[in-house]
Amino acid sequence: MSKATTNLLQGTLDLLILKALVLTALHGLAISHRVEQITNGTFRVKPGSLFPALHRMEEAGWLSSSWGDSENNRRAKFYRLTATGRRQLQTETRQWETIALAIASALQAS
Amino acid sequence: MQFLSRLFSLGRNLFTRARVEQDLDAELRAYLDQVTDENRKTGMGLAEARREAQVELGGIEQVKEHVRQVRTGQVLEELLLDIRYGVRTLRKNLAFTVVAVLTLALGIGANTAMFSVAYGILLRPLPYPAADRVAVVYMNYFPREFKFGTMCIRDYLMWKENNRAFENPSLFRSLRMDIGGNEGVPEQVQGASVTAGFFSTLQVAPLIGRAFGVGEDRPAAASLAVLSESIWRRRFAASSAVLGQTILVNGAPSTVIGVMPDVFRYPRRETEVWTNLPLNPPTRFGPWFYRGVARLKPGVTMEQAQIELNSIGLRLMQENNYYKRLTLPVLNLRDALLGTTLKPAILVLAGAVGLVLLIAVVNVANLILARATVREREMALRLSLGAGRGRLIRQLLTESVLLAVMGGAAGLALAWGGIELIRAWNPGNLPLIDSVRLDGSALGFMILVSMLTGILFGLAPALQGSRADLNSTIKEGGRGASVGQARGRARAALVVSEIALSLTLLVGAGLLLRSFVNLQRVTGGFSAPPRQILTILISPGSKKYNDEHAGLAFYDEVLRRARSVPGVELAAVTDSLPPDRQGDADTFAIDGQTLPSGEMNPIISAPTVGPDYFRGLGIPLVKGRYFTEHDRSDSAAVAIVSEGFVRRFFPGQEAVGKRIKQSGPGYGDKWMEIVGVVGNVKYLGLTIDTDPAYYMPFAQSYGPRIYLVVRSSGDTTNQGAALRREIQSIDPGVTLAQIGTMEQALNLSVSQPRFDTMLLVLFAGIAMLLAAVGIYGLIAYSVAQRTHEIGLRMALGAAQGDVMQMVVRQAVSLAAIGIVIGLGGAFALTRLLKALLFGVGVTDALTFAAAPLGIVLVVLLATFVPAIRATRISPVVALRYE
Repeated sequence: MSKATTNLLQGTLDLLILKALVLTALHGLAISHRVEQITNGTFRVKPGSLFPALHRMEEAGWLSSSWGDSENNRRAKFYRLTATGRRQLQTETRQWETIALAIASALQAS
Repeated sequence: MQFLSRLFSLGRNLFTRARVEQDLDAELRAYLDQVTDENRKTGMGLAEARREAQVELGGIEQVKEHVRQVRTGQVLEELLLDIRYGVRTLRKNLAFTVVAVLTLALGIGANTAMFSVAYGILLRPLPYPAADRVAVVYMNYFPREFKFGTMCIRDYLMWKENNRAFENPSLFRSLRMDIGGNEGVPEQVQGASVTAGFFSTLQVAPLIGRAFGVGEDRPAAASLAVLSESIWRRRFAASSAVLGQTILVNGAPSTVIGVMPDVFRYPRRETEVWTNLPLNPPTRFGPWFYRGVARLKPGVTMEQAQIELNSIGLRLMQENNYYKRLTLPVLNLRDALLGTTLKPAILVLAGAVGLVLLIAVVNVANLILARATVREREMALRLSLGAGRGRLIRQLLTESVLLAVMGGAAGLALAWGGIELIRAWNPGNLPLIDSVRLDGSALGFMILVSMLTGILFGLAPALQGSRADLNSTIKEGGRGASVGQARGRARAALVVSEIALSLTLLVGAGLLLRSFVNLQRVTGGFSAPPRQILTILISPGSKKYNDEHAGLAFYDEVLRRARSVPGVELAAVTDSLPPDRQGDADTFAIDGQTLPSGEMNPIISAPTVGPDYFRGLGIPLVKGRYFTEHDRSDSAAVAIVSEGFVRRFFPGQEAVGKRIKQSGPGYGDKWMEIVGVVGNVKYLGLTIDTDPAYYMPFAQSYGPRIYLVVRSSGDTTNQGAALRREIQSIDPGVTLAQIGTMEQALNLSVSQPRFDTMLLVLFAGIAMLLAAVGIYGLIAYSVAQRTHEIGLRMALGAAQGDVMQMVVRQAVSLAAIGIVIGLGGAFALTRLLKALLFGVGVTDALTFAAAPLGIVLVVLLATFVPAIRATRISPVVALRYE
């Protein structure tokens, strides 16, 4: 999969963002880097998808945001998981595993 | 939990929008800075790092727009935004908005008012249950020849005996009644005398008490009265104690048994008292005062009833050889109430106002299309800034709906005002005016139509804008694009149709106007200034005046006192007045005339008049003499005939000295010598020929209820009250009614044609105005668009006159096409006016020639300003233009 052309399915994007925020609060750029890192460079989230997703998830109550200082002392908006977000991550993880298993077995069938 | 979070977001997004936006902006800028920092770490210069970061972000405004799309309450917020933006756009283009809203308001208002009137009069259910099953039965026969004439009790009994089609045929007549008693001063009201089945046929329950029951129309039945709600409130303070009370009706005691609710207004709108009509066995045919009203039996149609009545008519003719060509026409209750000319008039007016709506809609479409071109660039710009096409469409829809709502609101106000005006003024005594009120469904329909127009034409820029090549549209403003040309053709077609529609209306209005002028020229046959003639209907009330001697003495005194009132020049009595108050009409015999067996002379106006009647009204004496004080009841019987009478019955002979007599059933053998010939007078309305007439002196043909006619030297305003005082001082039981000038009577008699004409002229005027706005808009726009071309032409040597000619030619050629189509439409449609026209044909050459000229004039006027503007174009400026 080429980095440039990857269009993340919306559900996948949500899952990846939730996963990226499990350990600590991050700002937008850091989330983008984190996603790239945990997918071994497969997915790179563009700002045009990232910010709408962040705002949508915040309005859904999965994330909360606050302004803070970034690593090189610039002000940035940090997102963290809420309790609802954590539950959502569990739900989506289970769903994804089910789907992945199903797709894998479908592809292995002769 | 999630719901609460959403709710919170919604509140935040809606109410602290500025903060939310600021926050988003800061967030994205911070992101940009961060990426720039990272880029610089790889060794880029500041400028390059920043540019790379921007490329990476992909346009800060687009990202913002994407974020906004996912916000909670986005739809609501966008709607508010659209409305705010729409209002701003409309306010910025104030001229467009005002013209569009006014156009819509005129169209919607006029239509809603007219359709409310049409619905109220033609369609709104009558207050009588299943009124379409109720029939009114008339009688038409020679020699009387009234299409919807009256019958006598004998005819009714014959009908009732042979009736199978109707439930309970009943009979009624309208008459003036003097109401007196202990409860107040005597007054004269409209009354009706009805048989027992009258109220049960109309099926309206009394407010209190009861209506007439079975058998209460038998000979020698007790005299009973049913009151209207209005007289009950006025004279009896709405007290239920009125039941059983005795009142005086025309001097005879009657017992009040019930009160009808205000909705019950039959046979006339102003009827206030109903008395029971005792069916005394008639000794002869006549008098013909009555009409029938009856409810169809279940399963019987009006046509079947008419067939049965036709055969009953045949029997009536066999029974009495006085009747010739007798028919018993039926009308359903609504048609009977409407009369013959109102329905076509209202249909024509409703059709006309529909055309006005069409023109208004075309005009708004035209305006919006014109603006579409201007807005194409705005749309392209917004598309390129990341707005979705759906978003643009929604925006334009919002604007259209805003326009329609504003137009609708203004139209509602206009319609409401118009209806109140019509109700208050009640032109032409429109029957059923009480059931006219603002009709919600009509208003809704009009607003819907205008909204659809707005939507249909308003969407054009969005659809085309999203299709067009954004780059070239922004750069060139769409100039010269084929889309623009197609739109120009569409606008030209719209203007042509406007011209055609308004020409059709103008021709119709012109015909009615000509007809109305003809009607105004009809004098009614008298030359006295109508403003100086005051007439009063006097009824002496007490039964003692039924005696001729007492009555004549009373009226001598009335006339003596009337002449003593300051300003009164002449006073006279009469039972008939022009233009439409015919008193009596009868057939007659001529001494020496032999008619074929069974034939008789026609029934013509036979007024009873006192001395000074002719002189007072200014009816010319052609030959012989007027009646004088010496024509007493004990002197030789005399008569005066009209010129029309002489022409028809004594052609080429000397009429004075001949003898005639009244020859209807029941008249004796009193020959009257003709002593004079006078001019023709209209007694049944200005459009109906009543030229043949014979007059008898009041003293020789006495009746207690009579008009007093007074000719005054000047102002009649205070004379009514002075005359009332004088007359009631002779006998306080005397009642006076219908006090008014001849001018008022003339106005009232032409009020329906005036109403029709005024409205149609108004509609045609609005149509012309709208068409003028349309053509002005088109030409002005086209001149503005061709500024470059015109400048080039002028630079190459075209004179101002050439430019002007070019612009005018464009307008006139459009007008010419419109006129051709419009004339075709007019030829096809004006025949609908036939019933409404007097003295002018439906293809009147003058009207058909003048109306297109009027249109051309309006078109030239509308073209004038843009044409002048075109000639003022400076080549230097024009060539630089855009």
